[in-house]
Amino acid sequence: MTSPTVNITPSACPRCRAGELRTLGKSPVGGVWTIFGCSTCFYAWRSTEPEENVDPDKYPAPFRLRPERLADLKTIPPVPPRRSST
Amino acid sequence: MRGAYKDLREFLTALDEEGQLLRIHDQVLPEPDMAAAACALTEIGENSPAIHFDNIAGFTDARIAMNVHGSWCNHALALGMEKDAAMRDQFFEFVRRFQLYPGTLERVTSAPWQEVVIDKDVNLFEILPLFRLNRGDGGYFIDKACTISRDLDDWDNDDVENVGIYRLQVKGPNRLGIQTVPQHDIAIHMAHAEERGEDLPVAIAIGNEPIITLMGATPLLYTQLEYKMAAVMQGSPYRVVRTAKGLDVPWGAEYVLEGRVLCGVRETEGPFGEFPGYYSGCHKYPVIEIDRVSHRKDPVYDAVYVGRPWTEIDFLQAMTTSAPIFLQLKQTFPEVVAVNALYTHGLVVVVSTKIRYGGFAKYVGLRVLTTTHGLGYAKVVIVVDEDVDPFDLKQVMWAISVKVNPAGDIVTIPNLAENLLDPACSPGGIVTKMIIDATTPVAPDVRGDYGEELDRPKNTDQWRTKLQGMLKEKRK
Repeated sequence: MTSPTVNITPSACPRCRAGELRTLGKSPVGGVWTIFGCSTCFYAWRSTEPEENVDPDKYPAPFRLRPERLADLKTIPPVPPRRSST
Repeated sequence: MRGAYKDLREFLTALDEEGQLLRIHDQVLPEPDMAAAACALTEIGENSPAIHFDNIAGFTDARIAMNVHGSWCNHALALGMEKDAAMRDQFFEFVRRFQLYPGTLERVTSAPWQEVVIDKDVNLFEILPLFRLNRGDGGYFIDKACTISRDLDDWDNDDVENVGIYRLQVKGPNRLGIQTVPQHDIAIHMAHAEERGEDLPVAIAIGNEPIITLMGATPLLYTQLEYKMAAVMQGSPYRVVRTAKGLDVPWGAEYVLEGRVLCGVRETEGPFGEFPGYYSGCHKYPVIEIDRVSHRKDPVYDAVYVGRPWTEIDFLQAMTTSAPIFLQLKQTFPEVVAVNALYTHGLVVVVSTKIRYGGFAKYVGLRVLTTTHGLGYAKVVIVVDEDVDPFDLKQVMWAISVKVNPAGDIVTIPNLAENLLDPACSPGGIVTKMIIDATTPVAPDVRGDYGEELDRPKNTDQWRTKLQGMLKEKRK
């Protein structure tokens, strides 16, 4: 029950369009798929996923991120202060 | 009550024998097939089966199970009950066993999950058959694993060891993001570790027998150990194996990842399609580094599909949410008969109760809001009479239809604390809560014009038994 897929070698992160990408994994059966990852926003995708998950131009607008906004994300939980050594 | 299932495989076999497992041997793509099949299972009827894939494109020997807890039938079988056990019966059996806490641990020195060990060049993207669940998810999530941790300040105390299910985003070959909120027990362990300036050792068990998964989803007290609750739930000591770091791991696990929550590190995580039926958004969450992966030969990866409710996750948060609320309520009000907190992790709670005097039901509703789980979840509380089954929504709707006069039966309390994941919050973490008193007014609350309620004809019970027997015979 496989669906039509694409096999795009990326030049930018589909989600935040940052250019620093890395290969995270390859299919144990050679040549079937590659998983890529964005070093900026940590989005990850597989080369065989539907286009909206691999192609920056088709990535759904509601899920896009802007790299400059990542620093504003809420930190949960906050890092507690270290105990003072006695 | 059937005895314990020793591992996920034994449970899958039991589901198969009961007609509650579909095996897919055709080749499937990780995306979108896995999530699409799991979503489809939620749309094909009440007793939807589990599903097992053994031919996933790109993997040599991957096996994936989904929807393992995904129907009342599967839930009953997980508890060792008859597969047609009514929801109400499952609730009372769950509550009965819950009160037997604590059971005991059976510590053994080896387990099948030690068969294969990978302790260098760990690459989770190639070891685990990961897949995206929802198109807006920020990556691949391990979402049905038990994460085990201990308190560095109280290391040898078994009762504060924790087994919890937290979503884990696989962000690098050996790097995970973990989502926790301050109410989670692991958050206490993480805080103590960070105050000490140390990493927190964790073990992550994937593909477990069905009881510990339910316990990992139950809001137990900090000093209650999930393994000891699993023991009373399954009726025998819970078998675990200790890792070299000293963490107890289910004997029957398919995969065990060992690593550390990195002290002081927070990184972008999410979004993830979450239990309310909405995406969670992105936050900066803690990070786990994995040093070692162990697994059985031909391991089975177990995942839960999360979509617009109802999906499998709703079964994981059903009785496990209802029972603790019920027991806490009952301590204050012995009149309480049953609690249905099945809906979206208890955002809606239905309570049936005897009525002590007029106006009593509203106090019961208020007490729901102050239970441990109610503080962050219960938003709409419906209180019904003792003879209304809170698990039968037809009866609940009848009670609301005829016993509610909005002029005096709706209580709203503005600006109460609520889980951030509830999208109705405004601002985030704050919401107005409501109690609907759908009980019959009794003196001195003399509102309404309630005469005699209809009752059942004599001999109805005998006829029901007879007719059910005839139907069962006819359908053989």
